[in-house]
Amino acid sequence: MDSQKIKLELENISQSYIVDNKVTDAVIDISFSVKDSEFLVILGPGRCGKTVLLNMIAGLEKPVSGRILLNGEEIKGSDRRIGMVFQKLALMPWKTVMGNVEFGLKIQGKDKKTRQEISQKFINLVGLQGFEKSYPHQLSGGMKQRVGIARAYASSPEILLMDEPFGQLDAQTRYAMQNEILRIWETEKRTIIFVTNNIEEALYLADRIILLSKFPAHVKEIYEINLPRPRDTMDPEFLKLRKIISENTDLAL
Amino acid sequence: MNKPVIVQSEAERRAKNIRRAYAILPVISLSLLTALWFYASSSKGSNFPSPLDIWNRYLLFLEKPIRGLSLLGHIWASLKRVFIALGVAWLIGISFGILIGWNKKANALFGPIFTAIRSVPPLAWVPLVTMWFGTGEFPQILIVFIGAIMPVVVNTQVGISNVYQIYLNVGKIFNASPKQVLFEIAIPSALDAIFAGLRTSTSAGWMVVLAAEMLGGKSGVGFLITRGMDSGDYALCLLSMICIGLVGAFLAIATITLERIICPWTVKKSS
Repeated sequence: MDSQKIKLELENISQSYIVDNKVTDAVIDISFSVKDSEFLVILGPGRCGKTVLLNMIAGLEKPVSGRILLNGEEIKGSDRRIGMVFQKLALMPWKTVMGNVEFGLKIQGKDKKTRQEISQKFINLVGLQGFEKSYPHQLSGGMKQRVGIARAYASSPEILLMDEPFGQLDAQTRYAMQNEILRIWETEKRTIIFVTNNIEEALYLADRIILLSKFPAHVKEIYEINLPRPRDTMDPEFLKLRKIISENTDLAL
Repeated sequence: MNKPVIVQSEAERRAKNIRRAYAILPVISLSLLTALWFYASSSKGSNFPSPLDIWNRYLLFLEKPIRGLSLLGHIWASLKRVFIALGVAWLIGISFGILIGWNKKANALFGPIFTAIRSVPPLAWVPLVTMWFGTGEFPQILIVFIGAIMPVVVNTQVGISNVYQIYLNVGKIFNASPKQVLFEIAIPSALDAIFAGLRTSTSAGWMVVLAAEMLGGKSGVGFLITRGMDSGDYALCLLSMICIGLVGAFLAIATITLERIICPWTVKKSS
């Protein structure tokens, strides 16, 4: 794959809402492009409008102005080629691990055998073999998030959106999952757009970081991260970048 | 090497004691109730039948069926009415609840009428239903149906209209059609609410059938109570009441078991 090929483009995306009869801007004139197979991290302070931006790419919300182009063509609404890993897991408690992972394939109308074959591959990829018949309430936080990742991968989207997927995990599990997501990304190359408010997490994962301002969000800076992987969070280069980004980041309200 | 075993057996012993306590408690309350019962029925000139009277009444029942039916036959006559009424009420109630829970226009159209009809107690229908359809089998089932359908509709509607937005978003991300969202997301997520409705409708149906039978039935446990009252047969009244209680408890346990089998995830909710 040509890694320089542009996969997704955002052109002058803005979003506003009417709150108490006043127009409130949430996202102001955001433009950037995402390369094929890139690991792009959108970094911003808490409640800055990151999720709004991601929801617009996912087609859950319609921007008030601007265009989103996938492979050069404008997309409107949700698109099968874009998958999502949700912040609050959003696993369906009435479905088993297998049922959750194969959900997208079922919606696509794939027959049961194909569904289970593909789902099994991704269940194995996220390391949950043996838990196919478990219900979400029987799993730990990290395992649930693995199910969420497998579900997003199983319907083979070209772009994966991840909305602070590790935000609710404890620190140890979070580090482990960061390594997992890199391993999975290297095994199954897809374009990933990963949203976080954690600078260290952004630096550990990203090919490129798009730094957003505080609410209402606009692009403050774009950083190319050329550190070799696996990255060392104690590496002087890493710490230097961390300091630069940290000083440039707005404080959350 | 011995220590862990001792620790474990200590834990086991504690668990066993707790289990034993929980097994004994209901026995204690039952014995107290029986003692109270003996005491109440032993005083002079008491119209309260003693446990022994009940037992003898039961034996008499075995010899002399009432209206050609044994006690079990009467219980079954009541249960049959409840089962038929529940079957129809669940089918129509769930469908209608899904309709007004999912479709806002349908809710605006039917919601107000339904809310008004729902406020009428099922027994208020008895005179009209009796005048229309007489006192046969059908009017009794109809009354039970009216009593049983309301909680099913209400719970289904609430369950369907309260499906979490995040699950709907998942459907949207995967490009699910409205029909897929309804059948794959909304209905399964509402199943625990629907089951709460089914439980309420079962107990409501069991109560209403007895009342319907008391007002004009020719068989069933409710009829037995009226018969006991008419003939001054205290023991028959109390015997029937005990049967009502036992069957009611059995129905409650049966619906809970059914829920555990059909929706195993409701045992513990995930976040």
